[in-house]
Amino acid sequence: MNTNSNTYTVIYTAIVVVIVAAVLAFVSQKLGPMQAANEKAETVSQILTAAQFGDKDSWAEKGNAATLDFYRDNAEAVYLVKRDGSTVRELDINAVEIYSVSELKAQNYKIKADEDFEIPVYLFKNGIKVIPVYGAGLWGPVWGYIAVNPDNRTIAGAYFDHESETPGLGGKIKDDPSFRAQFAGKVIDYTADRPFAIIKGGAKGQANAVDAITGATMTSKGLDAAIVEWLGSYENALGIETLFNAIAGEGKTINDEEE
Amino acid sequence: MANSNLKETILNPIFKGNPITVLVLGICSSLAVTVELKGALVMALSVTIVTGLSSLVCSLLRKTIPNRVRIIVQLVVVALMVILVDQILKAFEATYAIDKSLSVYIGLIITNCIVMGRIEAFALGNKPVPSLLDGLANGAGYGMILIIVAFFREILGSGTLFGFRIIPDAAYAAGYMNNGLVILPPFALILLGLIIWIHRSIDKDLQEK
Repeated sequence: MNTNSNTYTVIYTAIVVVIVAAVLAFVSQKLGPMQAANEKAETVSQILTAAQFGDKDSWAEKGNAATLDFYRDNAEAVYLVKRDGSTVRELDINAVEIYSVSELKAQNYKIKADEDFEIPVYLFKNGIKVIPVYGAGLWGPVWGYIAVNPDNRTIAGAYFDHESETPGLGGKIKDDPSFRAQFAGKVIDYTADRPFAIIKGGAKGQANAVDAITGATMTSKGLDAAIVEWLGSYENALGIETLFNAIAGEGKTINDEEE
Repeated sequence: MANSNLKETILNPIFKGNPITVLVLGICSSLAVTVELKGALVMALSVTIVTGLSSLVCSLLRKTIPNRVRIIVQLVVVALMVILVDQILKAFEATYAIDKSLSVYIGLIITNCIVMGRIEAFALGNKPVPSLLDGLANGAGYGMILIIVAFFREILGSGTLFGFRIIPDAAYAAGYMNNGLVILPPFALILLGLIIWIHRSIDKDLQEK
């Protein structure tokens, strides 16, 4: 057969592509549930890390089951907050219902499109609340979790992740523990134009800002925008302190010693 | 094919024709993933499997592939293997975290010159079994260097091997410090240079007159 004729070439490549697509579809269907379970445990471990329950690596060592068990034991409630400030429903803690990254992406779209959103607040038994943020980095999405102390103003910790930022530069939002360590003890200042900021050239001791990553301007800016946008969404929803107080139920007094 | 030839197919890529130290291919990933042994080992196995299976499949198809689109067909086969490896790594709890830490580098195996190079240079002109062995051996040759580099980088840079602490806390207490440079890619390049130097001084055939 003449393997160099046009007809042969076209038919051959078509068949190869169809076979490869079929194999990939089959494998993805078979492995999908296992990958989803891993991703869920990964997300839970990121939330726990942000909330200062141990180090990210330690969760990987303990394994998926231990991570989920710890979450079940320590989570108090997960609320979904709407744009008008009402909480729609609670996520099931025993079933470890959480927002996956793709759900964050969907909600981020709604936030930007001025549609009604349902964004989660993870409340832990020790009073720490974790809220997700999501936005665009340089090459792909960046997202993360910010844990707020029971005083509803100071940040307990944070954890960030990304899809395809450059390793060693933008990838540092995830890989460099000193970047996320900056967040602990910082304050979300709702009276400022930007409640929180990642500043290029250094935060210079500002209470509601951290240093950007050198050599990763776009990633830092993207993460900054994501934080401002999502904090703003929670804030718009109800005023985040009121919201957190409502969730805490105890009516914990707001610390009013602003500056 | 004679037995000695088959033996040559397997041993040549590991020593005399090592893809990294002699052909100087696959340098980029060998600098990037050699900070820890665990990652290097997974990367080495992944590349070995991908080169082996891609060579096997391309060799099986070698008489049917239209010459004008052969590079594209090879690329499709390689991409298939890489995605399969990536999907499998993501599916198991033990390898999920390593896959995450290797981030883009698993996907970038597609662009690893060794894979395409062996298909073009060997698999398209040889029977399936030797092609499979050639692919596996080249992957192993690559992986061996990766593991040697990762061994030195992990023990000097983090004081651990496979994550286990090797250098005792007493040494740190006495003032010993991990070398920060070792963690960075430039040191991997220096180390690779040293390995190539040693390899060439041992094997006289590699020396230019």
